[in-house]
Amino acid sequence: MRNKPKLKKGNFWFILIPLLASLVVFVIGNRLIKLHTSCANSLTCKTDLTLKIDNNAIGIFEGHKVIPPKIYLAHDNIKPSILGANAPSGKKHIYINLATQTLYAYQGNKQIMKTVISSGKWGRTPVGNFNIWTKVRSTRMAGGSGDDAYDLPNVPHVMYFYNDFGVHGAYWHNNFGHEMSHGCINMRLIDAEDLYSWAEAPKANQKGTLVSICDEFTAPNLCIQKGPIN
Amino acid sequence: MNTIQYSLNLKTIILSVMGIVTSLSLVIGMKYYQSQARVVLATPIILDNPTPTKILELETSLSQISSDGTKKLIMKTTSNEGGVNKYALSVSDGSGANEQIVFEKTLDIKKNITIPFNTWSPDNKYFFIQEHEGEKNIVLAFKASGEPFNTEEKYLNVTDLFEKYDNKNNLNEATGWASQNLIIFNTTTQDNIKGPSYWFEVPSKAIIPLSIQF
Repeated sequence: MRNKPKLKKGNFWFILIPLLASLVVFVIGNRLIKLHTSCANSLTCKTDLTLKIDNNAIGIFEGHKVIPPKIYLAHDNIKPSILGANAPSGKKHIYINLATQTLYAYQGNKQIMKTVISSGKWGRTPVGNFNIWTKVRSTRMAGGSGDDAYDLPNVPHVMYFYNDFGVHGAYWHNNFGHEMSHGCINMRLIDAEDLYSWAEAPKANQKGTLVSICDEFTAPNLCIQKGPIN
Repeated sequence: MNTIQYSLNLKTIILSVMGIVTSLSLVIGMKYYQSQARVVLATPIILDNPTPTKILELETSLSQISSDGTKKLIMKTTSNEGGVNKYALSVSDGSGANEQIVFEKTLDIKKNITIPFNTWSPDNKYFFIQEHEGEKNIVLAFKASGEPFNTEEKYLNVTDLFEKYDNKNNLNEATGWASQNLIIFNTTTQDNIKGPSYWFEVPSKAIIPLSIQF
């Protein structure tokens, strides 16, 4: 019986192979296993996060055509910002109560807005504490498939707080107080306009306005988050 | 030598399996680890003679503005000693100008009419109100212009139309508009359990069952 050749000293390969196998499994597993969807709008998640205005486009939502509002940036400068105008200076904070579908805006210890919204029904709105990372006056949001497909140009007054999840106006439905979105926070157009003019995007070394998505919320500042993503 | 070879090969396999299991555990643990319920408390806020400021809040049922702020639905209730209330619905611009009465009705005081928050269709062409009679809600849809839907119908009685469509479930409430001409309404079963949700299409009067509940 022939003896098999001796192995190299240090058994280099017998240590490296298990390490490589572990590394491969770790990398692949990290990519494949995804608990939380990082996109609200599957088709425009990464491509349409900047200003987009198309006053000739027709939208689609739940199989129905929708006429988006016309947006003229020059008109925005005429309207004064009144939200919080009489409030003392203070840290701005937006709370969203998913249980009651209500949004609260505070400046310091003053509640300056309370209104109903629509959070995610076909995609869960992420729970956690975020900062507005950019504001966009208008953009296009598209996603879904089949009967759920939607393509909505001229979505107004968008305040992104986590990837492409944002607080914005919604012109295609009027069912606020009930879940209706794919993860974003939908608001009445007038409410979104007011909030947009008040909320702050990041500037210099300052983060944007804090947005707390709460499973439950009790004014003025008790925000309960079960399983936040951050 | 064969024993040593077998031992080395076995070690390799064991190490590999251990490494794979460890990696998988790390990945799964990272992904599936759930923080405990977190209660976020900022610095306690003590209100000291708060100065009234402009606060945007939910409007009452006496008037309701459209989503874009360009239209307003106003309900004026007139009560008298006869045990009846007279309701007058009018539509105006968002500023209150150009008010036009579109509907009037007198009801026994045991009944009342409310204007929901989501009364306006997204395109401001329609609105709906709810007439409450005990536990029964009667949903009435109107054209914002006040024009009748046809020679016989000044408004569409969604509840009546649904009762003809489905005599097993009861229309519980209309919540709002799914699109420019689809009213969402919920139902309850005869056992008073939450039933299916539907769309009511204006002005075709089509009733469309939904696979999800609102």
